[in-house]
Amino acid sequence: MTQPELAELSRFLFEPLALSLLTVSMVAYLYAMSARHVPRPDGTVATSGRRAEQAGFVLAVLGTIALAAHIVVRTLAAERMPLGNMFEFSTIIALTTVVVGLVVVVGRLKRPDLMGFLLLGAVLTMGAALLVYTEPGPLQQVLGTSWRAIHVSAIVFAAGLFTVAFVFGALYLLRDTAERHLRASMPGGSVGAARAVDLADDDLGTVPQRTSPDTVEGDVAELEEQFGKEHRRRMRAAIDPVRLAVGTLLGTSAVSWVFWVEGLRAGQDLFGSGFTRFVTVDIVMVLAALLARWAVPYLPSAATLDAMAYRTIAFAFPIWSFAVITGAIWAEQSWGRYWGWDPKETSAFLTWVAYAGYLHARATRGMKGRNAGWLAILAFGVLMFTYYGVNLVISGLHSYA
Amino acid sequence: MAWRWLTRMKTALIILAVLGVQTLLATVVPQEPNVPATVADWRSGVAGPGTAVSQVIDVFGGYDVYGSPLFLALLLLLFTSLTACLVPRIRAFWRSARHGRPPLSRNITRQEHVATFASPLAADEVHARTRTLLARRRHRLRSADADDLGDGQVAAEKGIVSREGGSLLFHLSFYVLLVGIVLGQLTGFLGQVGVVEGSGFTDTSQAYWSTQPGRWWGYDDHTDFQLELDEFRVDWVRDVRFGGTPSLFEADVTVTEADGDVRTDTISPNVPMVVDGQKIHLLDWGYAPRIVVSDGGRVVWDGTTTARVTDDGSFRTAVKAPGADPDVGLAVALYPWAPPGEDGTPQITGAPWADDPLLVVAAYRGDLRLDQVQDVNRLDTTGLDLVDTAFVRLGGEVELADGTTVAFPELSRWAGLQVSRRPTVGLLLAGAALLLAGLVPALYAYRRRVWVRAVDDPAGGSMVTVAGRAFQRPDAFTGEFEDLVPLLRQELDAVPEDGPDDHEDAAPDDRGTDDAAVAVTSPKGGDASAPTTPTSGEEKVTT
Ligand code: HEM
Repeated sequence: MTQPELAELSRFLFEPLALSLLTVSMVAYLYAMSARHVPRPDGTVATSGRRAEQAGFVLAVLGTIALAAHIVVRTLAAERMPLGNMFEFSTIIALTTVVVGLVVVVGRLKRPDLMGFLLLGAVLTMGAALLVYTEPGPLQQVLGTSWRAIHVSAIVFAAGLFTVAFVFGALYLLRDTAERHLRASMPGGSVGAARAVDLADDDLGTVPQRTSPDTVEGDVAELEEQFGKEHRRRMRAAIDPVRLAVGTLLGTSAVSWVFWVEGLRAGQDLFGSGFTRFVTVDIVMVLAALLARWAVPYLPSAATLDAMAYRTIAFAFPIWSFAVITGAIWAEQSWGRYWGWDPKETSAFLTWVAYAGYLHARATRGMKGRNAGWLAILAFGVLMFTYYGVNLVISGLHSYA
Repeated sequence: MAWRWLTRMKTALIILAVLGVQTLLATVVPQEPNVPATVADWRSGVAGPGTAVSQVIDVFGGYDVYGSPLFLALLLLLFTSLTACLVPRIRAFWRSARHGRPPLSRNITRQEHVATFASPLAADEVHARTRTLLARRRHRLRSADADDLGDGQVAAEKGIVSREGGSLLFHLSFYVLLVGIVLGQLTGFLGQVGVVEGSGFTDTSQAYWSTQPGRWWGYDDHTDFQLELDEFRVDWVRDVRFGGTPSLFEADVTVTEADGDVRTDTISPNVPMVVDGQKIHLLDWGYAPRIVVSDGGRVVWDGTTTARVTDDGSFRTAVKAPGADPDVGLAVALYPWAPPGEDGTPQITGAPWADDPLLVVAAYRGDLRLDQVQDVNRLDTTGLDLVDTAFVRLGGEVELADGTTVAFPELSRWAGLQVSRRPTVGLLLAGAALLLAGLVPALYAYRRRVWVRAVDDPAGGSMVTVAGRAFQRPDAFTGEFEDLVPLLRQELDAVPEDGPDDHEDAAPDDRGTDDAAVAVTSPKGGDASAPTTPTSGEEKVTT
């Protein structure tokens, strides 16, 4: 096959193939999540949930294969490793998210109920990748070193893990709001009884106070039985949809404005396609947030979600640190300076500081739980800004060697 | 009081957050050390948010965040806080590493994880073998003979040294990095120089176009090597779709070191040449047109200029000829590939390959004010009068309106080399390695305690109780504990289980009665009487 044919095939494997497979898989998983939790009047659980989950799994595996095939074909088309531009980074972030979801979350942790949201994260990342689509092409020579390959793959892998952690962290905050509300409204309930479980260390010698995750889940399962449909309604009601929508809109806009500014910079009209991208990203994120609100009653307990977010970040953080270090080594080799505070380096450092802040917040008693959760969201915002903002806007301001 | 405030981790978090905000500012606002030209444009209002905002930015040192007093003060505060926080931690860690031993358990059966089984060995032997096994599995031990607490027992703990030690190593690596960065700044050197093909330069402070010497760097620290640029090669993917991405970029050089050693080498991106511990990188390049200016038949300028690339793909330079009367100044733009169109007028393509080079000159007359510091590649046209504009092809000559002629006989290229001395990279690399080496155990080493108590059975052998507790990740500990128990049983020659899953079926009240049965209780095991938090009484045993 010729290069243009390969390029076309790789594009087809990405979109529509992988994108639609993963989207349908996402719908199946989300359906399964809801169906498996809703008891029938006779007390049994619908089997359609299990079947939908199996279908979702098969589709997700096929989608992953299509995405991996896309990367292979694109490698052939460009005749180099596909780690050269934003489209390629996004692809690998999405692949990381799906693979971590299938292997760790579904396979090891047996948490298929979270897979729908991980797929949502992957699908959104792929959608955003299409906004910055680049034809496969050659790289600048300066980029052709093995340090770069190590650096970039570590960065992209860590970014994929942070995406997974963001999904957990955002769901945790929603679920926690609902659980608190429920507990507060229950006779004899006390706010904040469920505490983060594993995690963060106590000081030398002291004993942590904690509740086992099962106690918490047990409580909620009991509630579920007690209240059924009413219970679900009340959990959702705990989250004001307008506040959620406005908050998501503002939070997303803190990063997505770069699409607009990029359009203006490219000489578009004020409401040109850059503006359309900006608005589209915002609307999609608001819809995703409202979807998560609907799913709140079906989610694992807040404590579990919090623990999963923490563990994912704790896993990704050393990888990110390693990536920043290899970046400095590469800079020293290529430019004779290991650190120059250029926007890319600065923001990679900033992301590192933000996640270090999160880990610290988890280690400090009294800062656990929600505050740390918000810090995880903020840190992901910093990461996204590092990624989209610096690439699209800042380096357009003044470009570097 | 202030010290106490500094020792709080929350304080460190706040300082980190402020540093983060500053860093964010530095991403958005151009930084003078990186892009002085952009900063100049912001200051003058040509670009950016305007002069008023620019002044505010200047007040806060926003154009050089990392050199601003505020940033340095915060950094100092952070390191003070870090020190305040680390000193007690190190002390406690040292004490616990030397003397710390796990506490005995007063009520072993009330731990979170408990298993019991019978062993044919006497209690003392059970304890001895347990110690050996757990020591081999890197536990720290404490044992008590019978009487101390009724019965003898072995208490074991692991993970604490790696976890806390890792965390300390991680935080201590910041000091190594700080020393490496500051010392590197003080003693390092960075210099840029452009060299035209076929010529060279000598490593002295005058030779460089620009330098960033460290404060402790002196003239004497130059090693006076000489470098000749023998050949410079550059090529591109000649496909407009990819905007002329460079595909080849390398320079053959000959270096004569101060001691007379002569070496030839090829410098390319990512492959610097190392001379006396200094790295020479190839970072920049441009065209070097030779331009000859004659005024009334007299040559007033004949020289090779170093034109630099600009955003539109042209290469700009200037000619300043004070020998004419009045002075002649040329603003020069070189378009490397500007083939003639249908009607003969040049078609400017913006491509960088010199297939059809075209020199566009704007000639000025007046006082060039060469006594002032100027950019060699830029003509300051204030106070000068525009005489004419014209274009010249390679090998051609053009006569301007006032009779001045401009000739373009030759085109070569120049390579931008950077010479850098970074004496502390090794230290920084060590600091980075420490950081990672500390971070991994700080995050992944889990602290666990295990207790084993054997009580002699009057009928021979002993009854063994194993208990455990996790300080992190209790969910994972459940599995670890279930792995440890069979291992201990094997070591203690206990009657083997019938099947691997046997104990799951064992009723709790089988405990201690049926030799073959093992009861493992865990939080999931449904032993309602086991509290989820251990009693605090047993902790007191340690002290
Ligand atoms: C440059 C700034 C800093 C960074 C990037 C950083 C990073 C970290 C990381 C990644 C951890 C591991 C967290 C965990 O185990 O869950 C940690 C732990 C810790 N840090 Fe920092 N740290 C910094 C500064 C400080 C300062 C200034 C203090 C003291 C005031 C401090 C106090 C602590 C303490 C007490 C822990 C123990 C938590 C534990 O081991 O579980 N850190 N730090």
